Amino acid sequence: MEYKVEAHRIMSISLGKIYNSRVQRGGIKLHKNLLVSLVLRSARQVYLSDYYGGVCFSAQQVESKEWELMDAEQNKLRPAAEEGPAPQKDAGLGDATPVADEPTSQPQADGESPAGAQQPPAEADAETGGTSPAGPAEDQTGGGGRALPDEAGTPGAHSCPTRKRGAEKSHHACSPQKRTKVTPTPDSSGAAEEPEEMETGNVSNLITIFGSSFSGLLSKDDTPPASEGEDGDSGSGQICCDQMLKNLNPWTTAIVAF
Amino acid sequence: MMSVTGAIGRRVGAVLDLAALNTHQSADIISTVEFNYSGDLLATGDKGGRVVIFQREQESKNRPLSRGEYNVYSTFQSHEPEFDYLKSLEIEEKINKIRWLPQQNAAHFLLSTNDKTIKLWKISERDKRAEGYNLKDEDGRLRDPFRITSLRVPVLMPMDLMVEASPRRIFANAHTYHINSISVNSDHETYLSADDLRINLWHLEITDRSFNIVDIKPANMEELTEVITAAECHPHQCNVFVYSSSKGTIRLCDMRAAALCDRHSKFFEEPEDPSSRSFFSEIISSISDVKFSHSGRYMMTRDYLSVKVWDLNMENRPVETYQVHEYLRSKLCSLYENDCIFDKFECCWNGSDSAIMTGSYNNFFRMFDRNTRRDITLEASRENSKPRAILKPRKVCTGGKRKKDEISVDSLDFNKKILHTAWHPKENVIAVAATNNLYIFQDKIN
Repeated sequence: MEYKVEAHRIMSISLGKIYNSRVQRGGIKLHKNLLVSLVLRSARQVYLSDYYGGVCFSAQQVESKEWELMDAEQNKLRPAAEEGPAPQKDAGLGDATPVADEPTSQPQADGESPAGAQQPPAEADAETGGTSPAGPAEDQTGGGGRALPDEAGTPGAHSCPTRKRGAEKSHHACSPQKRTKVTPTPDSSGAAEEPEEMETGNVSNLITIFGSSFSGLLSKDDTPPASEGEDGDSGSGQICCDQMLKNLNPWTTAIVAF
Repeated sequence: MMSVTGAIGRRVGAVLDLAALNTHQSADIISTVEFNYSGDLLATGDKGGRVVIFQREQESKNRPLSRGEYNVYSTFQSHEPEFDYLKSLEIEEKINKIRWLPQQNAAHFLLSTNDKTIKLWKISERDKRAEGYNLKDEDGRLRDPFRITSLRVPVLMPMDLMVEASPRRIFANAHTYHINSISVNSDHETYLSADDLRINLWHLEITDRSFNIVDIKPANMEELTEVITAAECHPHQCNVFVYSSSKGTIRLCDMRAAALCDRHSKFFEEPEDPSSRSFFSEIISSISDVKFSHSGRYMMTRDYLSVKVWDLNMENRPVETYQVHEYLRSKLCSLYENDCIFDKFECCWNGSDSAIMTGSYNNFFRMFDRNTRRDITLEASRENSKPRAILKPRKVCTGGKRKKDEISVDSLDFNKKILHTAWHPKENVIAVAATNNLYIFQDKIN
């Protein structure tokens, strides 16, 4: 169990690094983020192998089980989430301080278009983080809704990347007015009340995102690789970091809680 | 020339503080150090995009003690911060690398690069100026042509030495990712530049195009598993270069084989020791620097905990491995948390390839003698380095009782890191960059 705690801690730290890399001067550093994602994957494997009480599953088996679990969650939460995402809040992610240091981001974020304007345009398409001051119930809704719009009812571990991309596509298709919201501290207490459920959601989302080696950090690259003049790479890296981060808002909650 | 071992412990120091007034300005953090081919000039680049060049004083009978002191020769702003509006990204002005060109005339040329743009700078001296122009006064005002009644020939008069730096070429827009290396080819006409995923070959005269010779970008970025961390041209064979990866491998490529050198000619990798696997094994095996020996027979790689010397004729393992700070292996988790595990240490050879040097934490740097297998740890700090003082060897206590003068692992200051060091190409003179201070050490004069 000690391994699980250590692995979990390393995962939290790694996610924090990925988050912070977005606001570092000079743009996202590919090398560092690659190394962090490798650590994250190693920690995840250890964490998962421990998650089932020490029974040794292979990573793929674990993934398929988690996937079914997530399917069940999504089906349960779909009607609630489809009524409308949580109230639109401006993105606070562009601010330099990490999530944990911004308990007042929610009140300040309302109607704050300058903050949103600082973000790359793609972030405006990001779905809301899903947490709201209303408490744990909406937390869960948001948590499920976050991973939601992609389900076409195609379970299976091998379709993980496809589903994730589907999520991104549908997010882009969604109202461009949606914005992510920084998790304020009131929600962390709400999340802490239900750590078990959040954990499942967190881990399965993590699998979704890190299903293949680097999908968590860089989105599908549509541009042909041959052209020398392509310059969408760093940009797409940034866009997908946002995608990943909005998917992981419960993680940030968990990080704050830890 | 004295062997390094003989000279160990008898070093005189000279501290050059690049930021006399503001010792904690981050813009003054030195990011690269490089001697030129003769060793008379030493260039440093910093985080603020500045280049400072030091020149060695000539020996003179009048001032015997000032032999070999380095003084500021030229300072100029090489790169400015830029903003990429398309991607909403700021481009740092930090100088990642400086490489000198071999000297061909009175002027000196160097290449300096930040994350995206490489510039060729010409540094020239001016100690004469023309006086006696016909059309303008001494202070530059134009004279009325109708008032000129006679013509004179301007004469060159001596003036105070002025060192000018001017950008002669700007090589831009060729790298999507961050440039980590530049290396001048032995043909003195071309050079290569490497970013995380690609290596380009340039001609020094041509700025509007470059050849892409290595491209490891996968078609699907989700399959990315390694990046290029350093690259260097072979010192004698102009068709050979190497590049290192984040997976701890080195590939040697021959440009004669194909236009695109995606297929390596040689592949250097040491099998991983399975007993030392941890969460951070992949990070600490990432190579941060690769340097050919002057002879061209060997190359040296630096990963987080060790320095390895490879024989180019043997690909399956290095011929020598030196532990730099093995006591950090048990601290990898903390070093991951405080980001120190991502520090990119460089390494360098001495002129005869008999010794190698690299940096560590707490302003320590290490030197290894390849022949005697002896090593030494020295510290670059103001307290220990009064001018002409002799450096005392340092020791890190790894466990058990700490002896007097030893320092325990937990007392090490991880904010004081020596990432950049350089060794004079011919003499036992070394330059060590400790954050925003530059230390120059040389053998004691007997």
